[in-house]
Order: sequence, then structure tokens, then C-alpha cells
Amino acid sequence: MTIDLSIASLFWMYALMLVPLAVFFYLQLGIIRDTLFALIRMTAQLFLVGFYLKYVFQLNNPLISLLWVAIMLVVANLSILNKAGLRRGVFFWRLLAGVSGSTLFAGGWFILVAIRPDPIYDARYMVPIIGMILGNCLRSNVLSLERFYSGIRKNETEFMTYLMLGANLREAVRPYLRDAIKAAVNPSVATMATMGIVSLPGMMTGQILGGALPMEAIKYQIGIMICIFTSMVLAAIVNIQLSLSVAFDDQQRLKQDILL
Amino acid sequence: MISFEHIILKVQQHTLFNDAMLRMAKGDKVVVRGPSGCGKSSLLKSAVGALPLGGGSIVIDGMELTSATVAGIRSRIAFIGQEPVLGADNVHDALMLPFGFKTHKGNRPSDARIYKTLEQLHLSRDILIKPCKQISGGEKQRIAVARALLLDKNIFLVDEVTSALDPQSREAVMSELFQPGITLLSVSHDPEWINACDRIVEIRDRQLVEVRHDH
Repeated sequence: MTIDLSIASLFWMYALMLVPLAVFFYLQLGIIRDTLFALIRMTAQLFLVGFYLKYVFQLNNPLISLLWVAIMLVVANLSILNKAGLRRGVFFWRLLAGVSGSTLFAGGWFILVAIRPDPIYDARYMVPIIGMILGNCLRSNVLSLERFYSGIRKNETEFMTYLMLGANLREAVRPYLRDAIKAAVNPSVATMATMGIVSLPGMMTGQILGGALPMEAIKYQIGIMICIFTSMVLAAIVNIQLSLSVAFDDQQRLKQDILL
Repeated sequence: MISFEHIILKVQQHTLFNDAMLRMAKGDKVVVRGPSGCGKSSLLKSAVGALPLGGGSIVIDGMELTSATVAGIRSRIAFIGQEPVLGADNVHDALMLPFGFKTHKGNRPSDARIYKTLEQLHLSRDILIKPCKQISGGEKQRIAVARALLLDKNIFLVDEVTSALDPQSREAVMSELFQPGITLLSVSHDPEWINACDRIVEIRDRQLVEVRHDH
């Protein structure tokens, strides 16, 4: 088992924050307030999650676990919409469907096909695995949507040219879809290629600290990486496809009021 | 063939046309003139549904431009802007681009037809393997015209299509686009082009005013 961190040890961890804060102060970066605010938010959120998860794991009730997963999906979706600069009112339900579908598909595959815990809805597996996939796909979800819509907006003449040459909407958006998916997954391809040499990934490190054998931990790490990657690609393509009908008007023009 | 009926067109809160009218018969060659920024290019764009109308209607080939007809109308019209977008890495792929779309699949032109079309526009076959990034503006304009000819389009909306052409190339492009079967709505500052058109329309006070009609 892991050595428990006492409150005193945690205090010394907070003390380490003085180093980056001193750098910010020295360079007059003006981000000390934001950093402290983020640190306080992180602390409060993690304590709440720790407290909540303790009960979720104890109860091990599938409905409560699913409710927690649903909350994670909604919060993730709101964050994606905000960061990609897309209007909530227009895209909320479509992206929620895309993000949820891709995350639950990849996470479900890992739990139902590979791990097969007993009971199958064991919160100790379901909640962290779905959470890890979701968290790791956030950036790529934002990137794919942002790249797709900005690509069309910046290349409106080119986009119109495709339509004029006889392309339907799905054919005309294809070059931008390709760019968006490439942009979303490229960093992960690079991460996978260096994993284990340049970095020891979070899940594996956590399991090793938790007392797991390294060979057990790497198998989980491989599994989660494949899930994350699959979910990224699925979410990118499904989100974009689902958003097309609300983002373009009936003459295939990109609506002006869909972006923030 | 092309009718702008009482159109109102606003671009970024700026009214370019208010209750403007223009009717073109099949085979008409019309050039639109006016100071820069008065809406010449926007007029062409509105005819293919690239800009939404604030009022009035546009009828092309007997079809009113609506969501139901826009795809059909676009597939009949060749639209060539000042800096045409070729949309592919090399010239051959740019020429073949539309034939990859469902609408034109199966109509792929033969090599012989491609070579003939290039020749008509004073382009050599060698250009086919050139990257689009390496060809000149004038060549791009002619490749865009060639692509439209390969698609057998007979309505052309062209915006300063001869601006980057030498006299011989301009003559070649004009001899293709001024064929009797082609209906041409154009924007140009080129005196020879303007002379060759049978109708001249000017944009004045957000209206389309005919200043010459040779019929």
C-alpha cells in the first residue's frame, strides 16, 4: 500500500509552490493571483471528490456511479464548448452525445471486454477509467472542433469552390475534417511513441505507488492509452458530423452566430 | 437564364443592393462595372448562394435559388474568382477534383479531352504534374477555366478572370467564354473584355443600371 501523506507532509508540498510563485513574482508575470486561485480550487475540488468517491466506492451502487459519470460528461462538455468558442445553446446536446458516446464506448470496451470486474459495474474501475479517458480527451476535443470551424471560416472561398464544383456539404467539409482530426491526434501519437522512455505515465505511476507490480501496471497503461486514443478519434469525427446540421444553414453557408 | 429580381443584399450591415434588377437571356455576355467595394463580386457570389439575400429572388435556368435548388444551381454554374482556388496539390488533381464528388462521378474526362482543353487555353501538358503552389496567377486562372470547361458548364460567373493574363492567353480564354452557348456574367476592368460584352451594367445608388445593350 501507499504511504499515507499526513497533513504536515501535504503542508510541505504546498511549500514547494513557493518556488514557481517566486519565479512569477521575480518576472512580474501578473499571474500569482490566478495561480493561487487555481491552487485553492484544485484543493477544494479534489477534497470534495475524494470525500465523494469514498462513498461512491463504499456504496458501489451502479446508479450512483452512473450519476457521477454523467456529471463528469456534462462538465467536460461545457468546458469543451467554452474552450472551442462554440455557442452552448447551439451545440450542447449534439456534443454531449458525441463526447458521451465516444467515451462510454472506449471505456465500456476496456471494462466489459478486458477487465471484466465482479460486479461488472464496480465503481472502483468504472469511475476512474471513464474519468481518465474523458480528461485526456478534453484537449483533443477542443482542438478538433476549433480547428475544423476556424479552417472553414478562414478558407471560405476554398470551401465555396468545393460546393461550386459539385461537392455536397459532407464532401466540401472533408479537407477541414481531415485537418481537424490530424491536429487532434498528432500530439497523442507523439506521446505514445515516447511513452515509458521520456515519461512514466500517470496511471502506471499511480498503480505502482499503490503497490501494483510494474508488469500489471503497464498492461493497464497500454489499455488506457488505446482507449484514450480511440475515444479521441471517435469524438473528433462524431462531434463534427453531429454539429454540421446546426452549424450550416440550408444553403451550406457556415452560420455567423454559432461561434462565441 | 439569370434573373436578379428586386434583390436586397447586405454584407456586414452595409447595404450593397436595394431592390436591384437584372435579367439575362441565354447567351448574354454581361459585364458589371462600378467603383471598388460597391458590390460587384458580392453580386456574383449571391447568385450561387454564397451570400444570403435580404429580399427579392434570384432565378437561374428557370429555378429560383432556394435550399432545395441550390445544389442543382451550383452544379450548373462555373464561378471563377480573381484568385481561383484549385484545391489540390498538383494541377492534374485540381482538374480531376470535381470528378471525385458524387455528382460528377462517372463523367471523368478522357486524357485526350484534357490535353485538348489545355491546348485551347494555351497551356502545355507539362503543367499537369506541376504543384499548384508553383504555377503563376495567370495559369491558375486558366486551370480554373479549363476545369469549368471539362465540367461542360454553360453559365459562367467570372471575376477579373483576365487580370493576370498576357494578351495571347486572354484571347484564348475569351474565345472559349464568348461562345454563343455560354451565358456570361462578369466583373472586369479590362477594356477588351468590356468591349466584347454585349451588355454593360453599372452599380449606381445600390441599383443595377444598364448603360449599354447591343442586342
